[in-house]
Amino acid sequence: MRKGLYIFITVYIVLTDIAITALYLLNEKRVDAYVAINILIYYTSYAITRPSIPTSRVRFLNIALLLLFIAIVGYRVYEVLTR
Amino acid sequence: MLGINIVVVAVLLAVYSFVIMDTGLLGVAISLALVGGVMVVYSTAPQDPTTNFLLNYSKNLVNVLTSSLEDLDLLDSNIWIARRSDTTLAVFSRTPCIEDVDPGIGFSGGSPYIAIPIEVPATEYTASVESSEDVERMLRSLLIDEFSICRNVDVSYEDGLYRVTVIGLSSSLNEFMKYPLDPYTVITLATISRVLGARCVKLVGRRSIPDGVEIFVKVEKD
Repeated sequence: MRKGLYIFITVYIVLTDIAITALYLLNEKRVDAYVAINILIYYTSYAITRPSIPTSRVRFLNIALLLLFIAIVGYRVYEVLTR
Repeated sequence: MLGINIVVVAVLLAVYSFVIMDTGLLGVAISLALVGGVMVVYSTAPQDPTTNFLLNYSKNLVNVLTSSLEDLDLLDSNIWIARRSDTTLAVFSRTPCIEDVDPGIGFSGGSPYIAIPIEVPATEYTASVESSEDVERMLRSLLIDEFSICRNVDVSYEDGLYRVTVIGLSSSLNEFMKYPLDPYTVITLATISRVLGARCVKLVGRRSIPDGVEIFVKVEKD
């Protein structure tokens, strides 16, 4: 495995483990919170390590995760505005 | 395989969380599935275990080529692509676009040349000479999607010259940039030759820019 990719996967998994465990121990029940935090960690890890794997599948994954994150945040904002 | 296993475990965890009606655990399961999905996608990235060996092997071959160019006094010669019906040749010669070129070392009109047969997996079609979009699309497909050796490619056509800007070069290929022939130049020249159906494509210049390289190409014979 490429060094940059290896570091990215390691950072992503370690940060995700810490965050998800913390959320579960804090008794967080909202599913979208877990997903949003995971996506945020994905992009943070990507920005820190810069694995530079610009294949079309990775690009598609990046776009899909960004759209999912926007949908989650949009839904929460909408919820707050209509409360 | 690890990614798929993680997804399977995540699905089982999700089913269990449904049974015990724990949405927190469902969040953990979906998050785990996301991790698995990311690993599945990234496991498809090119990661040949023999890459290091091939890099070393290529460096040795490039050293041989550089020594040959030095001996034939061709270090500051023209680099061009000669496209024949069955082969594509990368040629070093004093005079560009000479007609009778055969693979290997030879002489034409009293001056020496080196012709190296190359293969670039590009789709064969003929675009108009000024169509930089077709060239850019093909170069992106090869350099980014197929080989993953750069982050971005930009092609522009001005005053009869193609300016190909390659950004985010692969760190393992950076070392080749100091040699007379580097992978980016070879692929760029050969791709332009194939996309435009040109019989002679000449390298006009190569310039290093921050995190990339600019390659100037001229189509000599359509």
